[in-house]
Amino acid sequence: MAALEIDATAGPADGLAAVVALRRLADLMEDSEVERAMRAGWSWPQVAEALSVTRQAVHKKHAQRLIAAGVDLRRR
Amino acid sequence: MVTRLAPDARSLIATAEREARTTRSPYVEAEHLLLAMSAAPSTDAGQVLASVGLNHEAVEQALELEFEASLAAAGVTVRGDGPVRAGPGPTRRLRLSASFKAALERSVAASSGSRQIRPAHLLLGVLGAQAGTVPRALRLAGVDQAELATLTRQALAG
Repeated sequence: MAALEIDATAGPADGLAAVVALRRLADLMEDSEVERAMRAGWSWPQVAEALSVTRQAVHKKHAQRLIAAGVDLRRR
Repeated sequence: MVTRLAPDARSLIATAEREARTTRSPYVEAEHLLLAMSAAPSTDAGQVLASVGLNHEAVEQALELEFEASLAAAGVTVRGDGPVRAGPGPTRRLRLSASFKAALERSVAASSGSRQIRPAHLLLGVLGAQAGTVPRALRLAGVDQAELATLTRQALAG
């Protein structure tokens, strides 16, 4: 876990900025990993279960974007 | 408030939303307004930014550096060409972040006594932030935030 601890020499400004950056990284990763899974043929319920969110939530957040990106989402 | 926006200031806000979309952010943040201004050299704000070397590429680099430095504080490293750079962002209208709204409020306050809110007022609003991404990115770019605000006020006065 040592690698995930905030650098002890960093002050609160760095720690809080790290929180912002990690949120942004998580958002970016969610977009690209959901896209990767759907391109690999995963279903919405599978992706939802893997992310520990509801099927409705993951569909609402990503369906329109994936269709625009040219991912075939029929029969998922 | 909306009716007092000068046309070029209004257009900067629209550009900020496009910048947010391009960087795949779910919110329009203060830094997207800074990116928009740095890409508008015909505006007073863009000229002030250019005078300290902050063109669009320089602001992009500063923000990227800030992102990487902040992640590094948590022990996380991201490769520049990593999988996080996927296809297009959301097509829906983006929401405005707290940092963007705070910058706008400060811009309105800075423009009191002026007929319209000009791009330089927007820049003053962005530069009024005490903490967060913009102050950190400016520091990493070697830009003195207070001095930049002074230059902006001078541009408005001149």
